[in-house]
Amino acid sequence: MTGTFDLGWWGVLLAVVAGAIRVSTPYLLVSLGETLTEKSGRVNLGLEGTLVLGAMSAFATCYLSGSPWLGMLAAGVAGSALGLLHAAICNLPRVNDIAVGIALFIFGIGLAFFLGKPFIEPRAAMLPALPLGNWSDNPAIRSAFAISPMFFVGIALAITLEWGLKNTRWGLILRIAGESADAARAIGLSVNRIRTLATMAGGFLSGLGGGFLSLYYPGNWNEGLSSGQGLMAIALVIFARWSPLRCLYASLLFGGTSAIGPAVQTVGISEGYYLFYAAPYVLTLGLLIYSSSPTRTLAGAPSELSISR
Amino acid sequence: MPARARGPVSVARHAWPVRQRGISTDALESLLLSLIAMAAAGVLFGGFLAVQGHDALAVYRTLYLGAFGTRFSIESTLTQAAPLLLTALCTLIPARVGLLVIGGEGAVVLGGLGATLAGVALGGAPEVVGTVMTIAAGALAGGLWIATAGALKHFRGVNETISTLLLNYIAIALLNHLVSGPIRDFSQTLKAQSWSIPKGFMIGNIPHLSVHWGLIIGLLVCGGLHLLLRHTTLGFAMDILGGNRRAAQLTGLPIGRLILLACFLGGAAAGLAGAIEIVAVHGAASESLVVGLGYAGILVAFLARQNALAVVLVAMVLGGISASGGLLQRRFDIPHAATTVLQGLIFLCVLASGTFRGRLLPRRGAQ
Amino acid sequence: MNIKPTSAPPEIEVVDLCKNFAAVRALDHVSAKFRAGRVHALLGENGAGKSTLVKCLMGYHRADAGQIVVDGHRRVMLHPRDAHGLGLGMVYQHFTLVPQMTVAENFLLGRERLPVMIDWGSEHAALDAFMARMPFRLDPRRLVATLAAGEKQKLEILKQLYLNRRFIVLDEPTSVLTPSEADEVLGEMRRLADARQLTVVFITHKLREVVGFAQDVSILRAGKLVAQTEVAAASEASLARMMFDLPASAERPDRSSRAASQATAPYLELAGIHAVGDRGAPAVIGASLSVRPGEIVGIAGVSGNGQKELVQILAGQRVRQAGSVRVGGQVFHGTRHELERWGVSVLIEEPLANAAVASMSVMENLALRQFDQPPLAIAGFVLKRRALWPFAQALISRYAIRAGSPAAPLETLSGGNVQRTVLARELARAVRLLIMQNPCFGLDVAAAGEIRRQIMRVRNDGAAVLLISEDLDEVLELSDRVLVMAGGRISYQTDRAAADRYEIGRHMTQGMARLSA
Repeated sequence: MTGTFDLGWWGVLLAVVAGAIRVSTPYLLVSLGETLTEKSGRVNLGLEGTLVLGAMSAFATCYLSGSPWLGMLAAGVAGSALGLLHAAICNLPRVNDIAVGIALFIFGIGLAFFLGKPFIEPRAAMLPALPLGNWSDNPAIRSAFAISPMFFVGIALAITLEWGLKNTRWGLILRIAGESADAARAIGLSVNRIRTLATMAGGFLSGLGGGFLSLYYPGNWNEGLSSGQGLMAIALVIFARWSPLRCLYASLLFGGTSAIGPAVQTVGISEGYYLFYAAPYVLTLGLLIYSSSPTRTLAGAPSELSISR
Repeated sequence: MPARARGPVSVARHAWPVRQRGISTDALESLLLSLIAMAAAGVLFGGFLAVQGHDALAVYRTLYLGAFGTRFSIESTLTQAAPLLLTALCTLIPARVGLLVIGGEGAVVLGGLGATLAGVALGGAPEVVGTVMTIAAGALAGGLWIATAGALKHFRGVNETISTLLLNYIAIALLNHLVSGPIRDFSQTLKAQSWSIPKGFMIGNIPHLSVHWGLIIGLLVCGGLHLLLRHTTLGFAMDILGGNRRAAQLTGLPIGRLILLACFLGGAAAGLAGAIEIVAVHGAASESLVVGLGYAGILVAFLARQNALAVVLVAMVLGGISASGGLLQRRFDIPHAATTVLQGLIFLCVLASGTFRGRLLPRRGAQ
Repeated sequence: MNIKPTSAPPEIEVVDLCKNFAAVRALDHVSAKFRAGRVHALLGENGAGKSTLVKCLMGYHRADAGQIVVDGHRRVMLHPRDAHGLGLGMVYQHFTLVPQMTVAENFLLGRERLPVMIDWGSEHAALDAFMARMPFRLDPRRLVATLAAGEKQKLEILKQLYLNRRFIVLDEPTSVLTPSEADEVLGEMRRLADARQLTVVFITHKLREVVGFAQDVSILRAGKLVAQTEVAAASEASLARMMFDLPASAERPDRSSRAASQATAPYLELAGIHAVGDRGAPAVIGASLSVRPGEIVGIAGVSGNGQKELVQILAGQRVRQAGSVRVGGQVFHGTRHELERWGVSVLIEEPLANAAVASMSVMENLALRQFDQPPLAIAGFVLKRRALWPFAQALISRYAIRAGSPAAPLETLSGGNVQRTVLARELARAVRLLIMQNPCFGLDVAAAGEIRRQIMRVRNDGAAVLLISEDLDEVLELSDRVLVMAGGRISYQTDRAAADRYEIGRHMTQGMARLSA
């Protein structure tokens, strides 16, 4: 978003594309994680807490060790620890997974702010970007095409998961647990174990999403770092109808709509900035209203999911 | 009495009309479970502090002092608790008809906006009328906001948890939009805030206390709601619907109306909380409305296990924890977020304890 | 996955099999033989012990006494795995398919061990080769959710064959099928058996299917095997007699001689009711009937022929596609006001799930109908909780409900007492229309007799009564007029005087609808 005055409205477009890629990466990672969790038949509404704890863990680890990649690992581990906590409580009979998610949301954020307090001031090493815009002399283009490798990791994951859900033993097992717990038990699978692993995997990816926030963009650690990306991702999964590949498209769309506001602001238009900010939420609500029906469940939703029943 | 072939002990049990005295096995069990859960959370939090190298007992003593130890701390606790009394109801009332609504945050914002707009528009009206109308406008706005989610649920089958979550973000975006432009008071340069409501519409503090009248309003609403839920046919009908939709259909209850009403009342309570923030604290709408009152209310509602009177007690405890945050920070250099960690732990323990429901106390009447 | 022509399908014999559930004797010294390569029908009413018998065979239940002999060897079935290992498989009435997966995926799920990576190319080739050998085929790439009920049934059967099961039990395989689908599925099973590739046992109520497709038939009644015979040696009439013949109950309720006059206007009128079931398939097809004050109209029928859906429509729990309901000559919507005004009471089956609130107390449940009227309420708004206690106490002692305390949650009561609680609630006020579904299901003889006396009392007091029951004896004992519901239609109608149980039984067991004007 620097130097747009050189390019005029083309600059706006460039800023939207670059913004979409930057903003969409955490959405993508978190929504892929939540897709995994929900495919197993559980909802983890606590991903906002997971994301923030991941961001803090990544930043703190990177600050202390100097390695941003070690930081990302720490973010993933912290995320799966919260996932394990969610799963362990939900495995108890008669516990509502949505409520546990809300509790975990509060707990994760509290823990992140508590442990992250000493790390608000300092600077840490950042994740490197791939300089894909070096062919150009224009600094705006160069900065727009400096893309984080995590974005490509996300794309690769989306494709792998889309393929793996259909073509691997684990994909099939995950889907039975989410589609019919009875059928899964009938063939001797432990539904709780599958869901525990799926929630931990979901937590790992959400943690990575948080790590991206603190180690790449915006690239620092403070208490206002996340603006609800974790919660948004849950809506995004519904929007993408539980398909990893559609999560990719939806993340880009959400990232793009979020980037419109800041981008048009750079050319001096500040009217309705916050309304643009609401666009993804309105979009999701509209889609939900369109695709819901009082007599049948959401299209594409795993049958065991509490939010689709 | 159906006490055929039973020993004298069980006959004596029958003779004790448990519910008539207002204490049932269920309520007793709920209370016990909540206490056990809080104790467990306390132990876990103590361990967490000990790992950090703090003296957990000293921290708890300070926590108590910060919450209830002095007149000042009690006043601060009551101030913190006042909005929670109302935002908890936004989750509690819809829960009575079987819905999990988490839209308190958005309803607070809408309530604050509604109150501000009404207050500004009514400038020049008699003060008492202005205050009442301002507050009522906030409640109405919050009520309609959550009733929208109820309508979407009933007529379109849209999941109410997700829709209220989205509505929270939409409400916050709406607030930010309005206070950054259309209703912005540009004479305030420090931060983006709306025009202010007339000074005369503001409600002050309760005499001899530095706690605003919002506390009294909150207590009255909780008390009134308890009467409504427990001692009217409407509350009974809601319980039937929340307990078993089929039984409600069988007995001809108006399901759509009950759902809309429960959502409206819940939203109105949270809207009221937002309106009180305006008329008692801020005087104008701004980002200060978005401080997690709605999310904290969800915790209060779950801890109170759907009981409007228990909300009062729980809100005091959680308000106390929040109020003592500052003291903990000063005394032990423990970050303020410690109170959030504790709240999260309590919430998790309360939910986990739900698995023991119906198994903790022997139930009467099992054959 | 090949049906190898070399290995013969198994032959199974059960000897003196006994199984008790609490005080109920589900199987009482049952001995039967299922000969290899033949189609056996297992015939009996609801609760006769058919399902228990096959579940013992399949290792889901362990028999209390007796033996299971497979191909001459005594076997102990502790787990379904044991049965599967011997080539025994079962197709349940409720499908075990995963709807949001493809046919091919559902095939794979049954396998002992899935490959880490699935090579769909070779799997599909193998499945296509398998399908080519099968009597009926399905596209392996289709989503199961898009299959019709008959196709799902075929998939379940194909799955058993794919898993190399050679002794296949089908639990009421045609209950969700259209008659032509049923003929096709059973016909193919018969052909496979005739080719000595399978031994087939199917559970049914439908005599037509027994006569049409089975070679041997075993008839169970109240946990006992009453007959095992070759179908060729039996007639539909003789089978019906063996299936339904029950000892008459000891005490009959007094039927007031004051019969409903034919001239009286009907109190309940249903006209052209259409509704779909939970799976979206038509369940009630153009049902019309009327009930006059002071008469009991009984609807007989085998479970799953639309009775449940019909009752749910009357209880406000299901939306009807078409048709009208009138009570007292007026269009009826089922609002609380109308229910009160016309004195409508409903006794629906599984009361804990369908008619009561498990977590609420007994006294609150007793007040579900009247909580908004005096003496429980003031001006319809203030609930007098203190009045609940004596109100409930009176009903509890009158209907002998055994609850530790009126404040005990309903879910802590036994099934019979839950039933009595709902009965007490529904009969506590002036009843002018009583709608009942299997009111005595699961009750002992004495309790059932008491409930039937109550029903007769309500009728003698001038109420219109609609009784929907799977127990033919109950229908015949109580009804002034008998209707038969089969295939979603009211297919037969007769007066009490002219009622012939074999004629009624024949209509009940006919899957095909024969609409009587």
